[in-house]
Amino acid sequence: MTAPDEAAPVSSAGREIPIPARGALLAGFLKIGLLGFGGVMPLARRVLVDERGWLTNQAFAELIGMCQVLPGPNVVNLAVIIGARYHGPLGALLALTGILFVPTIVVLLIAAFYASVAHEPAARLAVGAASAAAAGLILGTALRLAIHSRFVSRSIAIATLAFVGVAIMHWPLFWVIAVLIPVAIFLEWRAAR
Amino acid sequence: MNGSGGDVLLELAWRFASLSLFAIGGINALLPEIQRIVVDVERWMSAPDFVELFALAQLAPGPNAMIVALVGWKVAGIPGALVSTAAVCGPSSVVCYLAVKGWDRMRTSKWRAIVQQALAPIAIGLVFASGYTLARTADHTPGAFVLTAIAAAAIAFTRVNPVWVLGAAALCGIAGLA
Repeated sequence: MTAPDEAAPVSSAGREIPIPARGALLAGFLKIGLLGFGGVMPLARRVLVDERGWLTNQAFAELIGMCQVLPGPNVVNLAVIIGARYHGPLGALLALTGILFVPTIVVLLIAAFYASVAHEPAARLAVGAASAAAAGLILGTALRLAIHSRFVSRSIAIATLAFVGVAIMHWPLFWVIAVLIPVAIFLEWRAAR
Repeated sequence: MNGSGGDVLLELAWRFASLSLFAIGGINALLPEIQRIVVDVERWMSAPDFVELFALAQLAPGPNAMIVALVGWKVAGIPGALVSTAAVCGPSSVVCYLAVKGWDRMRTSKWRAIVQQALAPIAIGLVFASGYTLARTADHTPGAFVLTAIAAAAIAFTRVNPVWVLGAAALCGIAGLA
């Protein structure tokens, strides 16, 4: 979440960075969608920064920071931003299609396959155990995020309230977010003064 | 799979489009809310069905929005999958498209850092809530609980690919360890 302010302006890309053609934009995000098993971000960095050179490392880090603040899947937002930067709304749509197309087909194939073997006891045991592990993956992701963030009392309080409101009290997400966002921004604003 | 009438598709589109802008921290922050709507409100499936779909979605490549594609598929087949995926990505993508310019202008503004620091703990709390909610549904046995704990530790403290973690857990399940 560090975004050094002296970084080269991300909006003025295009001087030393080649402008990708529409087809290349689609192909780049197709590749990220196709190969991004178990977490797309490391792969997105490799394709966008190392292979295609559409972004510098620093611009990539800064965009990730922005994608994390915006609602929606981070890598989907990344596709929209990069697509839009080079080819406007059409570019955003192309990059979106690229990132979603293959994963949607693959996940439907997996589900159809499972539906055809779901009557086998072994299949049910396998997916039951995988479900327990999948819950662990999300807990682990949250843990990793927490480890890499700054521990101050106000952010621990806000995170705890979000958790308790949704997981324990089962309050609708809308109200939890509608209350916590202004409170969290007020606390950060007061601390920054 | 239930019917795939236009009404169901509209319902899916409306439900997921209205969740889209609350996905602070990505779709992983929305899982308890999706489960609440899909299981308790709409009664499209049981809680264990939902968690099973979630596990299958983790095996696919790409963005973590694939659980939404599977919910749509379960409710209304392939059209349901496409409509739900488009609906959950649509509004947030439009906001993202519009926000880029403002964000670049705010590079030097103190508000940008304030908003970033304010939202981060909310996202973390919501993702914890998602993991907790899924675990409550998935963990009926001590073995399943141990698998959840091992998977969480593997993701938090190592760089192992999650697909291997799921595969290993599936094998433990077949071997009767969960």
